[in-house]
Amino acid sequence: MGEIVRYKRDVWGEEVILGVSWDLLYVVFMAIVILLIAHAIIMAALAKKNLDRPTGDGRRVVRHESIDRLFHWLMAASILVLIFTGVAPILGLRVAWLDIHWISGLLLTFLVVAHIIRASFWQDFKSMLLMPKDFAEPFDSSRKPGKYYFEQKGMHWAVTVVALAVIVTGVLMFMQIDSPFWDRTNSMAEDQLGLVFLLHGLSTLALVALAATHIYFALRPEKIFYTRSMISGWMSEDEMAANHDTAKWSPKEAE
Amino acid sequence: MVATSHDVMPDIELYQPADEATALDLASRLGNEGWLLGGGQDTYGWLKDRNKTPAAMIELTQIDAWKGIKEISDGIEIGAVTTLTEIANNPLVQSRYGVLAKAASVVASPQIRNVGTLGGNLNQDARCWYYRRGLDCYRAGGNICYADSPEGLNREHALFGASRCVAVSPSDTAPALVALDATMVVSSSSGERLIPAQDFFVGPDRDILNMTVLNDDEILTAVRIPSTWANAEFYWEKVADRNVWDFALVNIAAVFKVSGGTIEDSRFACGAVECTPRRLETVESEVRGQQRSEELAVRAGEIATDGARALNYNNFKIPLMQNLVKRAIRG
Repeated sequence: MGEIVRYKRDVWGEEVILGVSWDLLYVVFMAIVILLIAHAIIMAALAKKNLDRPTGDGRRVVRHESIDRLFHWLMAASILVLIFTGVAPILGLRVAWLDIHWISGLLLTFLVVAHIIRASFWQDFKSMLLMPKDFAEPFDSSRKPGKYYFEQKGMHWAVTVVALAVIVTGVLMFMQIDSPFWDRTNSMAEDQLGLVFLLHGLSTLALVALAATHIYFALRPEKIFYTRSMISGWMSEDEMAANHDTAKWSPKEAE
Repeated sequence: MVATSHDVMPDIELYQPADEATALDLASRLGNEGWLLGGGQDTYGWLKDRNKTPAAMIELTQIDAWKGIKEISDGIEIGAVTTLTEIANNPLVQSRYGVLAKAASVVASPQIRNVGTLGGNLNQDARCWYYRRGLDCYRAGGNICYADSPEGLNREHALFGASRCVAVSPSDTAPALVALDATMVVSSSSGERLIPAQDFFVGPDRDILNMTVLNDDEILTAVRIPSTWANAEFYWEKVADRNVWDFALVNIAAVFKVSGGTIEDSRFACGAVECTPRRLETVESEVRGQQRSEELAVRAGEIATDGARALNYNNFKIPLMQNLVKRAIRG
């Protein structure tokens, strides 16, 4: 049985946390692969019952503004780079990963802060709020959501929590290394540092799981028009009518 | 685990292969559980302190094919388990590659050179005492560098290339081989690869757990030195706290092709200032085609330490390195 937390002896001989056990990376990876394969099999078995998919033809409505799409793809790129550069040394790859890692981390931090400000003051923040009544949505096919459906909101808030945890712990770790902005002090107490490493590791594992799940659903045939809308900005009125309640979400027509 | 000294070795399997194939097969089969043993000077301390706990040792000194110095079509080849004394005293090395003979002659002490091998000297682990003490620092898989903490003792540590870990390359022969543009012959059961000496060593930015690019199943079997720098003028100097049985505070190996007082070409490498031997390419560019002079030596010395970042207690290494470069150019 593998461990979850790794411990070490500090300079005084006391046992302190060292970080997360990276055996969990393989556990998370295998669990996600199995779950997604199982989902794919179930969806394939049910696919015959769902042949009447909405078409992308016809009039179009705006789903994502270009600035939001830019934010999304930059965030996606920075998260993927962070995951790769963070995991590479654990897998034994000899790459100079650290500078790329913190630069991507700073980019993600900037994007997240900018997104929070924009979402709070210039976007319809309420459209992403997960309300108690939303929890009935997956079990009631007659209920259609507004701009975002239950699973999208859930994914968004899960990624938000995990990304903020990665960022906060990442900034604390960043302060322990040299950067163009400061010379490291390397002075955090070992037990506190271990806790930061543990939280960063756990949130990294969660981010790996969420990123894999997000990419999987983005590529699902019945969801691919959402991915297209994140690239081109629009969805068809047919797709909108089939999946969303126009009383709750009334976007402007796309050019 | 913090080190606890023991008088005796731990229980450990000892393999003493007498031929290359068996050794390579053992290295492949045992992977990171198999500890390669040359003269043992970087081994027994680790094992007696229980800070490294391999399941087995593979002693390589029985393999005649990996011993000795021989001429090859373009230079010489030195077997990796050739002792440092043999290298220091070998007439071929002394006459053609004096910088290496000199470097080998000042490693540690006569007793250590009599059993210590070239492969062992090149592959030895970092000598940072926090790491050697068994603390869980970055190099040991932990999350902190004790040497670069506010109260850390880092007089012997790095000026360049620190990436979390600030340990330095402790080898005396490594800078000489980098200066001579040597090639490392690395063998495994799946074949052989040739690696320029400069690329053989790896810094903590790329691999914080290891100091060379050797994989678990690979063995450094020989070093080939090309004739390019044979009989070249050379300069070697090692500065340490004492003349015998000590690691360098800074060492320098330089080779020159000089004609009429003009340096036509050169190669410089410094040890103990970075986790890898530091090639001084900017110095080489600066002195190329120049007449030897005091001004040139001063200028090259200053260039040599561009980008150096001293730690709390090793600022002295900057003027030390500058002066060694100056002395090398003065000849």
